[in-house]
Amino acid sequence: MKRLALVLLLTVVAVPGAHAQTREVRIDIAGGGRRTQLYCEAFTAGRLPAGAPEARQADEVLANDLEQSAVFLVSRAWAGQPPFDVQAVSGGRWKVSGGQATLEGEVRDFPARRPILSKVYRGPAADWRSLVHQFADDIVLQFTGESGVAGTRIAFIAIEGRNKELWVMDLDGAGARPLTRDRSIALSPSWSPDGSLLAFSTYRDGGSPRVYVVPAAGGKLYPVSVRSGLNTSPAYSPDGRELACTLSKDGNSEIYVLDARGGSPQRLTDNRAIDTSPCWSPTGREIAFTSDRSGSPQVYVMNRDGGNVRRLTYEVGYTDSPAWSPRGDLVAFVSRTPAGFDVYVCGADGTNARLVVSGGSNENPRWSPDGRHLVFASNREGPYALFISDLDGRPPRKLDTGGRTAMSPSWSPSASRTAVAVPTNAPNSNPGGRP
Amino acid sequence: MRKTPALLLVLTVGLVALFAAGCARKATEAPPTPPPAPPVVQPVTPEPTPVPVPETPVPVPSVTAGDFTDVFFDLDSYTLRDDAKLALDRAAKLLRDKANVNITLEGHCDERGTVEYNQALGEKRANAARDYLVNAGVSAARIQSLSYGKERPFAEGHDESAWAQNRRAHFVLR
Repeated sequence: MKRLALVLLLTVVAVPGAHAQTREVRIDIAGGGRRTQLYCEAFTAGRLPAGAPEARQADEVLANDLEQSAVFLVSRAWAGQPPFDVQAVSGGRWKVSGGQATLEGEVRDFPARRPILSKVYRGPAADWRSLVHQFADDIVLQFTGESGVAGTRIAFIAIEGRNKELWVMDLDGAGARPLTRDRSIALSPSWSPDGSLLAFSTYRDGGSPRVYVVPAAGGKLYPVSVRSGLNTSPAYSPDGRELACTLSKDGNSEIYVLDARGGSPQRLTDNRAIDTSPCWSPTGREIAFTSDRSGSPQVYVMNRDGGNVRRLTYEVGYTDSPAWSPRGDLVAFVSRTPAGFDVYVCGADGTNARLVVSGGSNENPRWSPDGRHLVFASNREGPYALFISDLDGRPPRKLDTGGRTAMSPSWSPSASRTAVAVPTNAPNSNPGGRP
Repeated sequence: MRKTPALLLVLTVGLVALFAAGCARKATEAPPTPPPAPPVVQPVTPEPTPVPVPETPVPVPSVTAGDFTDVFFDLDSYTLRDDAKLALDRAAKLLRDKANVNITLEGHCDERGTVEYNQALGEKRANAARDYLVNAGVSAARIQSLSYGKERPFAEGHDESAWAQNRRAHFVLR
């Protein structure tokens, strides 16, 4: 306890300039704000054990994370001289010994090189990438007031011939692995809010699709809704206690809320039309969904109890696949085009719909936990692959799925922190090593 | 010695069962792919005569999946067209005549729709076909419906002709 208090105190003392800077460089996502020019200097490293991750690998992971954050324009010291308008410099020391990796990360302003952020990250060498991701996320936090998403994961559906399997990978494509090997059709993954579970729909039992849950770290899957007819489109509530999904056990596809184990179904819609694709508002008080009750698919919003149903937007026709932003102020959705779908974003009240992704077909948009990005599936460059839009008018970036044809992405909640992070002045650090 | 006729009978029954199972599976895997007929009114063709079966000690189903014509739909629609009703009238007669035949109706969609919406749309199509058969006197207990949405297309293309092939309720014997 004493040490924790010391650490907190030192944090405040060590980086007095940081708080003053935070407001100044806060990024406005709606306006597609300016990006901060950041120059990544290579980590210095002493002699590393054979087979240990090299400092250069860590450099690249960090530079890539910062680039993908959409907060920074990144230039790499190992690729050339800094541009004239650099605003900040990152760097630090990289050590690996005794199976432990240590990153002493630093960010300084430029050209004065006053410290902005200085922290030590320590963890198992096998998990070294997550140390770098945490440093990247702290840098974003320092500049925007909100942690980055470099440590998050993406669940997706990999198309393998006629089969579709559920996969998960780090945001940067590392660590991709299958969570199902059913040689069946898995669809529509949804993360539990603590990031430990994925609910999805699957045809693995033969017959109609059922909702199953699998640990996100891999392991045994188990059924949560095996009612007759459709069991599709699961979505965990923000508190993780409930699952909204589509069931047709009563003869027609309707939205239900189940407890997280699949019991006590409460029916929310009662309509002869199709009702599907439920998605919670971040407060859990409202649910957006798709219905063709007006003759063609449109996104609607209803209260958690099924009351007060209203069409989301009249500004765009044939809408589907709603995704409520984590801040609650925006809803992303798709609208049909001759080529497939475009992605739109509008206010949660349905106003100010704007096109954010077009070209080819763009489906299943899902928000990053910081609300700064949308991931979606698209055939814009050929077979279906995953892309990220930063909502700023720049072209979407393709995610690395190891060449797998991929659909139905779902972005994990913010990363849980596994590595120890302390300010550089704490015991075992090396303040003298700072330039 | 006395066991031989019994053994022969068992073997024969086994072979016939295998043959029948083979037929059913083949029919499931190789569905008929008639193009979506324009709604031209045709006279109802007489019921195809069952293939004569060589004399065996047990009856085999005289209906195959090939005797059924799949039901096709318009874009975004689960309304039965006139050609769909003709196909279902024929199917209803077959099913009324062969009370031992049970079916699964698979609902399928073209690729222009989201995964989840198409799962629901496919079910609407399968159920529309099922309800028509039930109204035509087929017991609901003999019909299962199942939706594959856009997940199991019959035609892999990305044009109107492929899409029209993929919007269907497909008969499978079970």
